[in-house]
Amino acid sequence: MSSLLFESSRDDLEMLVGEVWSSHVDDRDGLEPAAPHPWSAEPGAATTPCWSGAVSVTGLWQALIAVDLAEPSAQALARGMLGLDEGEEPNRTDLGDAVGELANIVGGNVKSLMPGHHDLSLPVVANTLLEGATELLPQIVLDLAWRGEPVRVRVLALPPSSSHHDQFPEVSE
Amino acid sequence: MKIVLADDSRVMRQIVIRTLRQAGYTGHEILEAENGREAVDLVHREGPDLVLSDWNMPEMSGIDALSSLRGSGCNVPFGFVTSEGSDGMRERAALAGAAFLIAKPFTPEAFQEALAGFLDG
Repeated sequence: MSSLLFESSRDDLEMLVGEVWSSHVDDRDGLEPAAPHPWSAEPGAATTPCWSGAVSVTGLWQALIAVDLAEPSAQALARGMLGLDEGEEPNRTDLGDAVGELANIVGGNVKSLMPGHHDLSLPVVANTLLEGATELLPQIVLDLAWRGEPVRVRVLALPPSSSHHDQFPEVSE
Repeated sequence: MKIVLADDSRVMRQIVIRTLRQAGYTGHEILEAENGREAVDLVHREGPDLVLSDWNMPEMSGIDALSSLRGSGCNVPFGFVTSEGSDGMRERAALAGAAFLIAKPFTPEAFQEALAGFLDG
């Protein structure tokens, strides 16, 4: 299955992520397009504290869908999804749960855009940047901002000619 | 009325409970389950009026929970609340005996449309 097939769905992905945000996170402050954020720190530079959530799609189309949020955005995400007040601090379990559920919703909808039968994994969450297997190439990367903090959505997929490899994400150092 | 709500995400269970309230469904008893196995056990023990279930869960999936319930002769109304809302998934859900499938992200209006006839407002 051609990886180009998904390229035509970039607008669908932007619309979907916006819909998830307005329905379950924040119906006032939406996501805005933003310049790419340096998620992976250069040697010697400070690492951006962040959370990543990812789900794998397996079948004819092999892909990883990941969402990356800076720490303040992840906390605000959990507050928004749980309906907490601004001053309330979500615990780390709920924070990871919120990031994973965001990845699950986005990933499940991306899977639904692809024809044919595919399976969706349970979400993997890390309090650092999740990298996909090296065989997976970026298909769509949405660089966004929410309340001035970076948010990124990545769709990585196996090129059509590649054989099926393990899609489980690796945690970056 | 009594509702079993199955989702491995506590955050999503809270969102569903909030959305039920926003859709006008108040005063119902919500029994929470973290996977399909817990949902099946709760249904047999509590005899709910409705089951709302995620599809993809550890231990036992929502579709396996539905099959288990139908296999044991339990015909409790069962609806999915899942991120996978393709035609294929809806067809699989219907064939297994689900009454409806609400796709995430959802609105209170989507709940009203799906739950009409199953739940008192």
